[in-house]
Amino acid sequence: MTAAVVVWRLISLAVAVAFVGLWQVVANAKLVSPVFLPGPDRAWAALVRGFAGGELWAKLVGTLQHMALGWLLASVVGIALGALIGSSRAMRAYVAPTLEFLRPLPASAVIPVAIALFGLTEAMALCVIAFGSIWPLLLATIHGFAAVEPRLYEVARALGLSRAAVIFKIALPSASPDIVAGMRLSLTVALILSVVCEMLAGLDGLGHWVLLSARAFRSADLFAGVILLGAIGYLTAQGMTAAERYVLKWRGQGH
Amino acid sequence: MIADRAKPFVLPLVLVAAAEIAARASHLQSDTLAAPSEIAVALAASAVDGSLLVATRDTLLSAFAGLLIGAAIGLGAGLALGLVDILDRALEVTIEAIRPIPSVALLPIALIALGFGYRMEIAIVAFACVWPVLIFTRAAVRDVEPRLSEVARALRLTPWAKATKIVVPAALPRIFVAFRLAAGIALIVAVTVEIAVNPLGLGAAIMTAQQSLRPALMLALLVWIGLVGFALNAALVLAQRRLFGRFAPVEEPR
Amino acid sequence: MNARTGGVAATASRGGQIAFAGVGIELGGKTIIENLSFAVSPGEFVCIVGASGCGKTTALRLAAGLYRPSRGTVSFSGAAMAGPRRDIAIVFQDYGKALLPWRTAAGNVALALEAAGVPSAQRAPRIDALLDKVGLPAHGAKYPSEMSGGMQQRLQIARCLAQEPAALLMDEPFGALDAMTRQGLQDEVLALVGASGATVIFVTHDLEEAIYLGDRVIGLLPHPGRIGLDLEVDLPRPRDQLATREHPEFLRLRRELFDFIRTSEA
Repeated sequence: MTAAVVVWRLISLAVAVAFVGLWQVVANAKLVSPVFLPGPDRAWAALVRGFAGGELWAKLVGTLQHMALGWLLASVVGIALGALIGSSRAMRAYVAPTLEFLRPLPASAVIPVAIALFGLTEAMALCVIAFGSIWPLLLATIHGFAAVEPRLYEVARALGLSRAAVIFKIALPSASPDIVAGMRLSLTVALILSVVCEMLAGLDGLGHWVLLSARAFRSADLFAGVILLGAIGYLTAQGMTAAERYVLKWRGQGH
Repeated sequence: MIADRAKPFVLPLVLVAAAEIAARASHLQSDTLAAPSEIAVALAASAVDGSLLVATRDTLLSAFAGLLIGAAIGLGAGLALGLVDILDRALEVTIEAIRPIPSVALLPIALIALGFGYRMEIAIVAFACVWPVLIFTRAAVRDVEPRLSEVARALRLTPWAKATKIVVPAALPRIFVAFRLAAGIALIVAVTVEIAVNPLGLGAAIMTAQQSLRPALMLALLVWIGLVGFALNAALVLAQRRLFGRFAPVEEPR
Repeated sequence: MNARTGGVAATASRGGQIAFAGVGIELGGKTIIENLSFAVSPGEFVCIVGASGCGKTTALRLAAGLYRPSRGTVSFSGAAMAGPRRDIAIVFQDYGKALLPWRTAAGNVALALEAAGVPSAQRAPRIDALLDKVGLPAHGAKYPSEMSGGMQQRLQIARCLAQEPAALLMDEPFGALDAMTRQGLQDEVLALVGASGATVIFVTHDLEEAIYLGDRVIGLLPHPGRIGLDLEVDLPRPRDQLATREHPEFLRLRRELFDFIRTSEA
């Protein structure tokens, strides 16, 4: 069984490598203009050159910073607000419908408003990223807190737990699967908004890098940036999966 | 006591009233903020002069075109991967490598390859819409009741007949959920592309309003984009209920 | 205190540790219990039976302080109940919902010790002793999802014992378990309760279980819930699954309870 998994993984990897090879062939044969499509060799070279010069490092760190700060701010505020709203029936009745109404609003649409308020600054980016990535988390947290098994609240009453203990020992762990799922979605949104903000405001980061490379028709640099952004998306998602598995190990094997 | 049906409207009304009172009391003269009444006037004005409708049409056109292309690709690929196990396993790494690329990262590539305009916006929307449809379809096809597959075998259906007569109808409710999610993503991505670079549609209109220091119009467009997003989602939820009744699933696969 | 209005007078003169006096309660606009009076002496094992809708679970929740009576008083050791108390433990029927799924067996027992402010250094040996007591010695590191129904219910009982309760309230605790597991747990509960000296109110719909366990069986009449029968169980202890159940007195009591339930349902 495990041997078959490894074999299939290798086959799958070989297929991916074959696609990269095909990409190389297409690029070498100039089937697509090299202005748009550099070969994987040129993209790789651009990646190595960018890191050697230190420039790509700075951009990578910039994007990671935007993403992490916005996401952390959204997480703290989102979990606190979600707990407040989700644990009160009255708050849910009054506030939740408004939040549901706002949820389909494209978060990027607040960018102009944020620019008007803060200018083309890091503060603007932080606000937009935090605002945009708070929604999935906020709604998931509200749901998690609203769905705590009522029996557990009775257990807490019978044991005479303090209000703080009820929140931290009963409600928060009970809502944790929803919260973690919300944080995962938020992370994806945070990456997208980081890139958009960097493009618009010219902030140091991969978003700005890929846009500048495109404007200068440096397609190899452009592809190096896109590959890095894909790597960030992949690694952060993997990190979330690992964290999820660790935090939710009580849910047992499988789903 | 406030009736339960009225409760959802209390908070928005209070907020709007508070904003109006604050704006009047402070004799607001700002490049960034505007009173709700001014926002309403600006919204009405842009509706009357037609600019709002043109921008909405452009955005929705790009969003829907991208959605249809992306959903078609996602559906086809999802069906293929769900039905043919070998294909699914062989392409696993490739898909894992491409899927996490944030859609906006492709914006500059689309820009140099296709230039400004509908085509590049549609291409990016399509890329973003492929994934939810692909993932949902693949999961839905895999989870089709095994008993139904046995029925197909007992009836000696061809693979094509099995796909069209058994698998797709059984998986359809969940595929529609994916389509609904993808529609939301389509609008978000379309507006984002317009705000970032593309000079058309609602996204460009709201950027222009900001740059020309017309806060009432800018906020009016923000409200309008919110309403369009809400209406689109509500319409699709309604369609889902109509088409699939109350058995319509809402869960997302992991 | 023990003003009684009906039923059998045998317990009326006793000073009750848990005492219901003229208790009535409405839930959701419906009268669930009306004029319920009885008293349970310290260390007594009282079983409550009755047809569905007789309010036996509601009575238990009143005794736990989870509900407040609309009329009359529920008192514990002479003082009116103001709410749940740590020295009254309640075992819920739905163990799957009453355990914290994100805590191990040891962690679930620890919750009660944390609530009582036991310093963390003292918790581990007490948890081990409690798990040992309920027959789960090697299972401290397991999550509830990894345990059978019978083990989960044992775990809930261990958590309740961790409260060192003066009174143990059990709401059909074995209702969801198979017959073999149920008999084993009945004997374990008798042994545990006998050792701790706690007062027990045990709600069940199983008439034989009520006779087998109790010093006394109270039968409630439905719509609204009120006392219809109050039987002393004069069977020798320790009880035995075979000998007790074949005892002539057991069969007589079973007959009496069976007739009571049948007429109350008619």
